[in-house]
Amino acid sequence: MKKILIAIALFLSFNLAKAQDLVKKIPANAFTVATIKGDNVFKLMFVKDFNESFVGKKLLTETSKSLDKSFTSIEDFGINLEKNMYYFNQLSDSITYNCFLIPIKDAKKFENLIDSKEKKFTQQGDIRTMVLPDSTSIIKWNNNMLYFVTGSIKGSFFADSVKSARYGIKDIRFQSDDAIVADSAAVAVDSAYATTDEPMVEAVDAPVVEKVKVRKKSTAKKNTKKTVGTKKTGKKKTAKKSKKVARIDSDFEEAREFAVDTASAMTPVHGIVDEQYDTYQQERLEQDAKKKRLAFTWMIAQADQIFTGSYESIENNKSYTASLDNKAIAELWVSSLQDVYNSISPEFGAYGKAGLMKGYGSLNAKLFMDDKSFRISTGLELAQEQADAYKKIMNRKLNKNFLKYVNSEKALGFMSYSIDTKAYLEEFPKLMKQTYGSLLGGKMDEEIDLGTELFSLLLDEEAVSKVIKGDALFVINGLNTKDVTYTTYEYDDDYKQKEIVKTKKETLPDFLFMFSSEDHRLINKLIKYGVNKNYVSVENNIYKVLEKKSPIDIYFMIKDGIVFFGNSLTEMQGISNNQYNSNKLSKLHKQLLSKNNFSFLFNAKNLVGKVPDSEIGGEETAKKFNSTLEKMGNVYMKSNPIKGRLVSADISAEIPNGHENALKYLFSLIENAAK
Amino acid sequence: MKLKQFYKLLLFIVLIPFLSSCFEVIEEIAMKNDGTGDVVLTINLSQSKTKVASVMLLDSVQGYKVPSKQKIQQELNEAVAYLRKSEGISNVKSTSDFNNYIATISFSFKDVSNINNITKNILAQQKIKATNTSSYNYNKATKTFSRKYQAIGTAKTEFNKLKAKDKAVFNGATYTSIYRFESLVTSSTNPASNVSKSKKAVMLKSSIMDLINGKINVSNSIQLSK
Repeated sequence: MKKILIAIALFLSFNLAKAQDLVKKIPANAFTVATIKGDNVFKLMFVKDFNESFVGKKLLTETSKSLDKSFTSIEDFGINLEKNMYYFNQLSDSITYNCFLIPIKDAKKFENLIDSKEKKFTQQGDIRTMVLPDSTSIIKWNNNMLYFVTGSIKGSFFADSVKSARYGIKDIRFQSDDAIVADSAAVAVDSAYATTDEPMVEAVDAPVVEKVKVRKKSTAKKNTKKTVGTKKTGKKKTAKKSKKVARIDSDFEEAREFAVDTASAMTPVHGIVDEQYDTYQQERLEQDAKKKRLAFTWMIAQADQIFTGSYESIENNKSYTASLDNKAIAELWVSSLQDVYNSISPEFGAYGKAGLMKGYGSLNAKLFMDDKSFRISTGLELAQEQADAYKKIMNRKLNKNFLKYVNSEKALGFMSYSIDTKAYLEEFPKLMKQTYGSLLGGKMDEEIDLGTELFSLLLDEEAVSKVIKGDALFVINGLNTKDVTYTTYEYDDDYKQKEIVKTKKETLPDFLFMFSSEDHRLINKLIKYGVNKNYVSVENNIYKVLEKKSPIDIYFMIKDGIVFFGNSLTEMQGISNNQYNSNKLSKLHKQLLSKNNFSFLFNAKNLVGKVPDSEIGGEETAKKFNSTLEKMGNVYMKSNPIKGRLVSADISAEIPNGHENALKYLFSLIENAAK
Repeated sequence: MKLKQFYKLLLFIVLIPFLSSCFEVIEEIAMKNDGTGDVVLTINLSQSKTKVASVMLLDSVQGYKVPSKQKIQQELNEAVAYLRKSEGISNVKSTSDFNNYIATISFSFKDVSNINNITKNILAQQKIKATNTSSYNYNKATKTFSRKYQAIGTAKTEFNKLKAKDKAVFNGATYTSIYRFESLVTSSTNPASNVSKSKKAVMLKSSIMDLINGKINVSNSIQLSK
């Protein structure tokens, strides 16, 4: 019974905490959401520790100095540090909003922070608003949250004269008298705009979602040609065309033609070019100011909406909620790559509709820090079809026999990958078609089909996959020193030069590259050809590439269904005689290699002191080099298995011993770098 | 897998991190009492031949384009052609050894002042700004051989603009100048220079880093016995 009660209490408190989270204030159609999780951050480092850290002290003294106040703790800023802070943006066809939502603990403290003579804020109920100079952004807050918004108008939207006219904004270009007639028409509409706020509210209430927008774009495109942006170098042809349009417009608006504002009226109809240019400049400035005012009105409405409106929150977006992780310190979510591409593509022109990113869904990245490492985890949602294709391709594990040849005690690093060659060759044409088919706008569908068929016909996927199965491992098992000769000079009593040959030690990494192969016939034929043509020499089944230009020797051989390449003869001989020292694979390395389709690891520690000072460039450089390496833990990357439609990969960097956790280590790094 | 590409990648991973190399630049001038003489210029990258050979296989390294063997040979030939046309210069020869990466240019001059602008002009031809002004003079009457050298201030600042990685290339590089005479040397003013046992030659060895930084000046005035 007690347990149940506790469970209910926990559940309630969890819900309560969630209810207070500002995420509910983020609209469902937010495009990007970034989160910094205050509670997780300050679990790693207490606020007190932060204040006393180098970064914290710097932040506090700098803020104190610039605001002429005295802060001793970041808590003095009035921000609730135990809660999540958010950034999100919202896109529509006409404006982009960049917004921050920050939890407030003590509004008085926050007001104290921003309070100054020049900056005043207004209060309505418990909502306070401050407009930043130049009216480009707004800060709004109450006792629980702070909202910062800045908006930027999209040029492409106002290049569409029909749309811009709705907001009394006209497209200005540098041209002669006829334009003035056209101007008057637009100005007339302007006056109409002044009497009604409706269009703005409409735009704010329903920020247009991407899909709708793309459709709208087609009309916009036609018009952009006629009314070339705000460029002053309107080409003659376009200018003429637009004059025509302008005339029609002006006929249409004949009745209002007298509503010409004074600025246009003052413009001499047959003035000299300079004067016209000045007018043009002035008008352009006016239009820009109008756009800015419009953006400001929209921003105010948007901010009000966040505080008082009711709307669907991003919490209801499954893609978003699925991307979250309780343990992350920071998170980033982008609604869909396809949408990102489409949203910027109008600026790309005709390629906009191509949908190059078709099949790629939302993207997310998460940052983790704990007592052992930093980790960044990234994920990408695929369309079902694509995900299925990748699943087939990824359906292979690394050859277990490869693991024998990794010596974790010495290895500087490795890289492995395993894919199913057959599946890859079969799926590859489909994936290509999906990506490039849309790029060509469906014009070449037949040709692409033909190409992919031909590809399958020419290649026997099964046969190829027997020669190269699709898994490979590249490993550097330490460094090796060898003697190298070089020429230098000696001088006798008369300083006569004498050429002499000296030897020196050179350190080179020993690498080993291997891939699985079932069918050696082709490779054997190639080798035979190489031997006959003296490109390759052979001794005890180990082949040596005879390439004079190569600064290192390269050996290769085939053994137990594995093709090996390497630059150390001893290593190759060891493998050949089954004497290669195995069983030195660490648990981490084994996991990385055997569980993932792709893995990469760099172990800097195994490099410390292994390279002679003389080769790094002197003792001093070597010391720095080694101490940097010593501080580095393992750095590794891996791909995760596909889950549902999500492909993901992780990058981790271990922190060295003697540091409590990754965040504190990061702070110590910053402190060291600043010294 | 494209083997060549793989190979290049491999070299890149394996060798580039340690791209500090040793190379020698040697300048030898043999003066006769009548004011004529011979010059041998040598650049020897043999100590770094593994690295050079690797770099030569790459298209570019650290953002610099790597010249091909043909290009290097061509530039050497251009330098020779230029020398042949220069006043007072004769007997121009060059050698190049692409196994050990050693190249030499040798020639004779009528008067040592003939060579004063040569290096600068050759560098200018290759669109490289000279990093110093250097001039030689031999006074037959007083039997004094002198070299005036002035590092250009901008050389150091330009050099300091390079990335640390690029600067490291010059670590361990040396410059040696040897002046040889028919008469005995009675004095040599540069304290860093050494007079040979036979008293007929003067040598000065310095690191290229010290030259660039202006730590060492190779100016010298050598008095020969009359």
